[in-house]
Amino acid sequence: MERRKFLGRSAAGGMAVGLGAALKPSRGASGLPGKFTPAAHAIPHSKYSPFTTPDYYTFADDLVIERNVPGKPHQGKVLAAVQAHSDDIPLFAAGTVAKLIDEGYTGYLIRLSNDEAAGRTLGYGVVQNEADIQEAARAMGCKRAYSFYYRNHRMDDNAVIEIRARLIFLFRLLQVNTIFAMDPYDHYDENPDHIVAGKAVEGACWMAGGGKDYPEHYKAGLKPAHIREKYYHARSPQGHNLVNRVVDISSYIDHKVRTNVANKGKGPAGTAGVRLRRQLARQGKKLALLGEDDETANLAYVKFFLMDDFHLLGQQFGLEYAEAFRYIGPEPSYAGNIMKYASEHAVPL
Amino acid sequence: MNSGGVPYLNQAVAGTGNAEIVLETDHPGQPHQGKVFVAIHAHLHELPYYAGGLCAKLIREGYTGYLVRTTNDEKYGGHTIAQNILSNEQEHLKMAAAMGFKDVADLYYRAHRMNEISPTEIRGRLTLLLRMFKADTVISFHPWGYGEEDTDRQVTGRAVDDACVLAASESDFQEHLEAGFRPQSVTERYYFHTRSGQPFNRLVDIGSYVEAKIDAMVECRSQGGGALGSELRARLARQGKRLPLLGNDDRTANREYVRQFLLDDFRDYGRPHKFSYAERFYYVDRRPPAKTKVDEYVEKNAVGI
Repeated sequence: MERRKFLGRSAAGGMAVGLGAALKPSRGASGLPGKFTPAAHAIPHSKYSPFTTPDYYTFADDLVIERNVPGKPHQGKVLAAVQAHSDDIPLFAAGTVAKLIDEGYTGYLIRLSNDEAAGRTLGYGVVQNEADIQEAARAMGCKRAYSFYYRNHRMDDNAVIEIRARLIFLFRLLQVNTIFAMDPYDHYDENPDHIVAGKAVEGACWMAGGGKDYPEHYKAGLKPAHIREKYYHARSPQGHNLVNRVVDISSYIDHKVRTNVANKGKGPAGTAGVRLRRQLARQGKKLALLGEDDETANLAYVKFFLMDDFHLLGQQFGLEYAEAFRYIGPEPSYAGNIMKYASEHAVPL
Repeated sequence: MNSGGVPYLNQAVAGTGNAEIVLETDHPGQPHQGKVFVAIHAHLHELPYYAGGLCAKLIREGYTGYLVRTTNDEKYGGHTIAQNILSNEQEHLKMAAAMGFKDVADLYYRAHRMNEISPTEIRGRLTLLLRMFKADTVISFHPWGYGEEDTDRQVTGRAVDDACVLAASESDFQEHLEAGFRPQSVTERYYFHTRSGQPFNRLVDIGSYVEAKIDAMVECRSQGGGALGSELRARLARQGKRLPLLGNDDRTANREYVRQFLLDDFRDYGRPHKFSYAERFYYVDRRPPAKTKVDEYVEKNAVGI
């Protein structure tokens, strides 16, 4: 609790005033002639890290701002946050995952790769990232983390159908209702693992509810999983997706900070604060925001430098911090609507 | 060759070349009580044809049997693709019931196209089934069977062999463990002998089980010749003839046709050993010894401190 208070007063407060306004791009910089309507929007960016918010956003005209919901309205529901790499969900969706868990969801974190491409050696990398996802899961409030350990940066070498089959098994086992994943239609994603992960998740979501796919799961006692809500996020840098939901994560920014600090083996967060603090100390300097101890340095670094872009995104919508998604919600009751029409309009024979 | 838990019933004899062939005869009682075998074939008729006698024998001797078919058998049945899938599916259930299998799993991969399937996906599914059924023994195609021209059989054999290894591993498909299915060691394998020239090291006396084998074979009507007897009987009747062998009803006709015309190989396999019928297998024994060499060494050499 003390830590949250400290962060709230210093780093977040300072950032909100200092950077948000300072780095707003000029509208007049666009060379787009007035007769054209922009199809994508550039959002102010702090330029502190490439791995925060995408370069461009495309917004739907029925965009919804999802705010805090009091109580536990999602009690009994299950979410699975699926990521190719240990830093994907922490960077792009951890605030919303933490929010939904706080509002009643049971959460699970599923990592598909082994993250071997990050680390001092391949072996150290996989061990560190394996440990990190457990910590990251805890920081978001997830009940459990799973890992499939496909080789990092080589997931297009794997059979998507096999990954999909394993996800279907897990979705049925955990009785998942809602998923988070990299948008399978994200543009300009240079990482093949993201593309494979997104496609595998998308296929698994609807097949997990079917009776004819993998019937042996039912012999094994599993039940269909009806996944009715999806939160697809983009990656950055570059990639952008269609955004129709902006989630207010202001109350959960410290969860997101801690989740990213847990990622020591990969990503821009982890122990970056400590490293900067030590580097400055060697030069006989210090940054007040990094505090007096390692933990404070790591948390403050992430909040000040890496969360700033989520603050800049939030500002566009009047929020302190935000994450953006392509949200796909429950389908209408098509048959029910027809029956409703029929009951309202049917006349005696 | 380790001849198994009841060695006095399994007799080793000289085989072709340097191979030693074990003769597996009837075991009294239920020595396999509590054990499970999973028979995995690609097409409807294969299991009863190549191993119907063995399966009936193992079930009678205490095994619980499960049957897995990997394809949808869409290419055989003489009707449309869709109708073939249905007829083979229904006959597969009937055949399994005739043999006494406890349960059946169909994977429905497209027949004759299994070499386009991801090997890791089919292997993963079979691994789950082996763990779920708690398989001690599998019966399937030889993964390196010489001269096997049917790619569905090749793929099935390879996938089964791989799945047997992975099923025992705590590190493969850990989500199965999460679901309550423990690693499962498949310690015995019987590979079908499907083509001349394929190796075999075990000859199973199925004389006591040939009726069960025939019962299963006659359920395979869409493929496997299960209805040929009644078809021949009807054809002869249209010509004003009959074969006494085929009896007076379709079921008798089908059963006796199978006995007369489709079991020659099995009579031939048994004849040198005075078995009326026998099935050939390449048997792999991976049961751990009661005592390891280390155990024996320790027993012999350990001294008091």
